[in-house]
Amino acid sequence: MKKREAIWFYIMVSPWVIGFLIFTLGPMIYSFFLSLTNWDLFTTPQFIGFKNYVDLFTKDKIFWKTLRNTLYYAILSVILWTIISLYLANLLNKPFKGMRTYRTLLYIPATVPVVATALLFSRMFAPDSGLVNRFLALFGINGPPWLLHPDWVIPALILMSLWGVGAGVTLLLAGMKGIPTEFYEAAAMDGANSRQQFFKITLPLLTPVIFFNLVMDVIGSLQTFTQVYILTRGGPNNASQMIVLYLFDNAFRWYKMGYASAIAWILFAISLIFTALIFRSSSLWVHYESEIKKS
Amino acid sequence: MKLNSKFHDKFSTYAILTFLSVLMGAPLLYIVSIALASDETTYMATFTLIPKEFHFENFVRVFQLDLNFLKFTINSLILVIFSIIGQVVSSSMVAYGFARLRGPGKNVLFLILLSTMMIPGEVTMIPSFVIFKYLGWINTMLPLIIPNFFTNAFNVFLLRQFISRIPVELDEAAQMDGLGFFGIFVRIILPLIKPALIAIAIFTFTWNWGWFMGPLIYINDVDKSPLALGVQILSATSSSGQVPPWNLVSVGSLLLTLPMLIVYFFGQKYLDEFGLMSGGSVGIK
Repeated sequence: MKKREAIWFYIMVSPWVIGFLIFTLGPMIYSFFLSLTNWDLFTTPQFIGFKNYVDLFTKDKIFWKTLRNTLYYAILSVILWTIISLYLANLLNKPFKGMRTYRTLLYIPATVPVVATALLFSRMFAPDSGLVNRFLALFGINGPPWLLHPDWVIPALILMSLWGVGAGVTLLLAGMKGIPTEFYEAAAMDGANSRQQFFKITLPLLTPVIFFNLVMDVIGSLQTFTQVYILTRGGPNNASQMIVLYLFDNAFRWYKMGYASAIAWILFAISLIFTALIFRSSSLWVHYESEIKKS
Repeated sequence: MKLNSKFHDKFSTYAILTFLSVLMGAPLLYIVSIALASDETTYMATFTLIPKEFHFENFVRVFQLDLNFLKFTINSLILVIFSIIGQVVSSSMVAYGFARLRGPGKNVLFLILLSTMMIPGEVTMIPSFVIFKYLGWINTMLPLIIPNFFTNAFNVFLLRQFISRIPVELDEAAQMDGLGFFGIFVRIILPLIKPALIAIAIFTFTWNWGWFMGPLIYINDVDKSPLALGVQILSATSSSGQVPPWNLVSVGSLLLTLPMLIVYFFGQKYLDEFGLMSGGSVGIK
């Protein structure tokens, strides 16, 4: 019986095990090997040790810019995204009529595929004719040239990412629904206003969900590619060049496979560092309440 | 006093939400307005937020271009349908194994599975490309579809949570009636996790329908492109001095968005049910 169960266990999990070996573990080993070589995809790889890594950090000025841009974008967009989605989820969690409709309205932009969003925002951000600057002009503000200006291109990308904040709202709302209403009733009896209720009840109890989202959002935004590929191709003057786009350019435009593999490993290392930081800090702010039962 | 502050809270909530809905809705209205604009307006870039022209023929014109949008749509459907089949079959099998069956090394395997969630796909991108090139699969849908038959960690994790909530007594009773492990999987577990499988299908749809990077890497022939890539190609066809046909590009973007909206509206019920049953959210304990 035991043996049969074990056999069935392996049969059932075999798709993942095989997939892991072929599409994850094998490629990871191969990718690390490639990162130590000079290879153009057609000739034999030439082993050069850690030269790619050394070059990236000591010779490649664009790579430094790429790192800065990616971190700037990822950190700022995740912070804003978290704050705004918390604020919105808290509003939508109030027991008023019509909240479902608002929730749907705010979620719709999150269903728009990135390609469509990027193409739409290329028109939104057009310097003279775009909706954003025409809106700003109503208040007498002379809007910046957004995607065409090195200082404004990343803020523009962050603004664009916030359009899809409804996705984050939905996840947080699901978590908020799991908080028993008795908590709020008791707090209200004690005279806590809605702001106090949010900071003393909702926020602490939601920290496990926020924590999970934070990890996923940071990893996700470090991998930003499609938006920049479509909108700027990294320009102007590499001001929006991001790690994955630079990796893509190196691999599939310039066929520098070894160099690109080294970039991939640096990306992996950065993701791990961020994940570790968030995990490490979690004991300070993530609140686990084991007795809360979710229905 | 108390009533007054409640009224104030209600009023400000509605005011803020209405303002934000308008703000978030404006780009949607804008894209519809661009999609309905004439070529003249497109050339002059004099789009308005509220549509002033209604060139519904743009929705027909987009299918008469040299770029074959009908084919793009069919390619997208093929990509999505096979990806869904692959994910649903493989993730339910693997999740059942991890949730219900015991075998040596199970915990280690599950730990590895969870940790793969943190690996950015880009790390395996180049070797995967080399493997698929070696197999002669470049410029086909296979590199985009086949990996789905080997599931992904996220789906397994969610489904395993879901299966864990089904009482084990059901399995035991079925075992008494002479059902084997595979029988329990097919006759007991699968019917009970239907809402979760629909949720997995919806996730897979959302991830693949608008997927851009994969097709960009693997597909060379324009005719073999899925819709997301096709729309981007249309926006980039013209040489640098020329204005892209933004009205038709926007029609393409709407074609790309519409199925996502439909799936969201019809699938919400399942996502909610799935969310509730799997513990409110994806949160880790």
